[in-house]
Amino acid sequence: MKRVLVIQLARFGDLIQTKRTMSSLAAEPCEVHLAADHALAGLARRLYPYASVHGVAAHGLPDPGGADAASAIIKNARVFAELAALSFDEVYCLNFSGLSLAMTTAFDPDSVRGYKLVSGQIHKDPWARLAFRWAKKRRLAGLNLTDFWAALAPSRVPPESVNPKASPRGGGVGVALAGRNARRALPPEVLASIVQTVFASGKAQRLVLLGAKGQEGLARDLSRRLKPGIMEKTSNLCGRTSLDALCDEVSNLDLLLTPDTGVMHLAAHFGVPVTAFFLSSAWCHETGPYGEGHVVWQSVVESAPCLESAPCPDGLRCLESFASPAFLPVLAGARGKEPPPGLAGFRTDFDALGVVCRPFAGTDPVMGRRLAFRAFAARRLGLEIADGPAATPDLAATLDLETDWTLDQARRPDPFETV
Amino acid sequence: MTNMPHLRILVVLPMYGGSLPIGRYCASALRSLGHAVEVFEAPDFHPAFTALRTLRVTSDRLEFLENSFLQVVSSAIAAKVETFEPDLVLALAQAPLSRQTLKRLRRDGVATAMWFVEDFRLFTYWEAFAPYYDVFAVIQKAPFLDRLAGIGAANSLYLPLAADPAFHKPLELSPVERRKYGSDLSFLGAGYANRRLAFRRLLDFDFKIWGSDWDGDEALARWVQHGGRRIAPEEAVKIFNASAVNLNLHSSVDPATLVTGGDFVNPRTFELAMCGAFQLVDERALLPELFGPDELATFKDMDELVEKIRHFLANPGEREAFAKKARQRALAEHGYEARMRALLDFTALRLDGWPKPRQNAGALAVLPEEIRQETAALLASLSLPQDVSFDDLVWALRSRQGVLRPLETAILFLDEWRGQYAGKGPSA
Repeated sequence: MKRVLVIQLARFGDLIQTKRTMSSLAAEPCEVHLAADHALAGLARRLYPYASVHGVAAHGLPDPGGADAASAIIKNARVFAELAALSFDEVYCLNFSGLSLAMTTAFDPDSVRGYKLVSGQIHKDPWARLAFRWAKKRRLAGLNLTDFWAALAPSRVPPESVNPKASPRGGGVGVALAGRNARRALPPEVLASIVQTVFASGKAQRLVLLGAKGQEGLARDLSRRLKPGIMEKTSNLCGRTSLDALCDEVSNLDLLLTPDTGVMHLAAHFGVPVTAFFLSSAWCHETGPYGEGHVVWQSVVESAPCLESAPCPDGLRCLESFASPAFLPVLAGARGKEPPPGLAGFRTDFDALGVVCRPFAGTDPVMGRRLAFRAFAARRLGLEIADGPAATPDLAATLDLETDWTLDQARRPDPFETV
Repeated sequence: MTNMPHLRILVVLPMYGGSLPIGRYCASALRSLGHAVEVFEAPDFHPAFTALRTLRVTSDRLEFLENSFLQVVSSAIAAKVETFEPDLVLALAQAPLSRQTLKRLRRDGVATAMWFVEDFRLFTYWEAFAPYYDVFAVIQKAPFLDRLAGIGAANSLYLPLAADPAFHKPLELSPVERRKYGSDLSFLGAGYANRRLAFRRLLDFDFKIWGSDWDGDEALARWVQHGGRRIAPEEAVKIFNASAVNLNLHSSVDPATLVTGGDFVNPRTFELAMCGAFQLVDERALLPELFGPDELATFKDMDELVEKIRHFLANPGEREAFAKKARQRALAEHGYEARMRALLDFTALRLDGWPKPRQNAGALAVLPEEIRQETAALLASLSLPQDVSFDDLVWALRSRQGVLRPLETAILFLDEWRGQYAGKGPSA
């Protein structure tokens, strides 16, 4: 049996979004190994019980400037030695990060897919190179990261088989607070009204606040803004759950309200319905919840999605529609109501490429362009989207370069092979 | 100058030609001196360049294409500079660095040096390029140095050629190799006009001519070995070692003067001396300051050459004495390490603020205590000094071919991790 390694050293959410890649490789069948950050190794074993998980000290070390941290990093040499001894047939490096690239140097360059560092030169395979080009036109593109990574595998399991269909589990409504990027999350004063509206319109008897230790203050702020009747039913678990306990909690929820977070992907993994609020740099067509039946309220103002690292060019206009009173009846499911301008509701579904966000409320100003892109991306993978737009030379001309035409064929067995 | 810090040096090789091996010797010497060296392998681009010449297009189109291609290669060098961030770019004659790139490097404060290991009277292109280099090293003195100063190349220095003692050395040859490469008299070099005529007087000896560009000369054809193919440097050392008398006649395109008495001293002079091989070399204006009369046997005209060949063939002891002294002098003064040290000292003397100080911690200080011993062994295996900076160690590891060992991968991983978490940007 082929032995493969997936290098996924990024965070919580990315680890979960690797699921279709992992499932596809396991279905080949392959003996699948996964290199993940040491702090997430336990979660990785729970997510992927069929895989051998190797913890690598990559993030979250105390006192990064100190000698102990450097020592911990160098001790990774043992893990690298163990992995090298396994002689993998294929190594999938999923992230274009310095740490992941450095790790690829421990393996035969010919065996590495995705990204690799060879004699000091970084190489991307053609699919990844294409992704870097479409990432410059994020608003017009749109391929879920889970499906992007899975496309590196020789074949892919059907997208429907990745996560269970969303259905309530009886454990109440969860609220995931913030995420790593505060601008992508709704502030407590906006979130409070939304939480109350959703909670009041359903039958749940329990509200659970979820987040890391750093979000405890945010949770207290939110709690103070909730009506007393709801506050009584609220449990604040911020900073009080291990990853295992978080999994247990999330897996039993009826619904999760969340910005673009790792907890959102965890809920989707368990088939727990998600209602997500995407603004700022978050774009549901890239990192929305994976599976059927989730809802995303996505800001579609012209500046969305923006660049996380750059100051907002638009005075946080994308937040306005979430704060608008006109949004709450729509959220409560009132008939005949439309969301405020700049906001659109999407429901997750599937096409041949993978998960797709289909608009059900408001106006999606770039749907036509995005569907054309998905059809283009599908064709690149040898797939056809039913009723998808025909070939679009104009779009292809912006994404394919002369060097692709003359040097590369994306569908080769070995995408790095040039002759 | 003493205490030259460990530098980062990018050596830019020419695409082909006689200065190509010299560039490699320079890189090797700089590494031996403890510097982090990166080599731009211009020869890898040469096949594509030559392919343009088979296009059968109009000459103006070909010129345009060749220029465009060279701009791409030159841009590749610029990209390498941006990534490697060298203290010095050392180019060998005919290195594919365009003036546009040289201007850009100067604007960006990157020091450049050219070792022009050519005869300035023959290769006159220096006029167009010398002012763009910060340091211009040459193998001739007057009037070349004055002419360089006249066109604005203020930092020019005389830097004679040399040999690599690790490569040019006495060899124990097998009887088969002695038969193959040996003869009473040999010459290794290209078929320049003066040599073609001069060698006709030597055909009574047991004479072998090695090297290329001898075609079309019926009179010498019988003596030219292997059909006049190019001789690899490894083979050259065997020929030097196997020959009783190595003839070293400097080239000239002028057939009127067979023994020119010119100024510069060719690389073969140093290589033969370093090999401990006996040579008869024509008198050169710059030779006496490099080798004494008891170290190298010389001739000033063809009559003297013929006479001395006979004499030394009959006196092997004298040959041995010359060869031994020449090797001692070469080992003491004429290695590429000495040349590179002189070039760097000159550069430091002439360029204000060069080299710019770097805030790099030593590798041994950055890496954890428990792997000190393993790291020391790693540095030795990479031919890096024990006080090499962490950044230069990372660079050396990145440049390695193939699969890295676990500790090596872990060091690259640590470098990236420091960039992400410890406020140290990853090494370029």
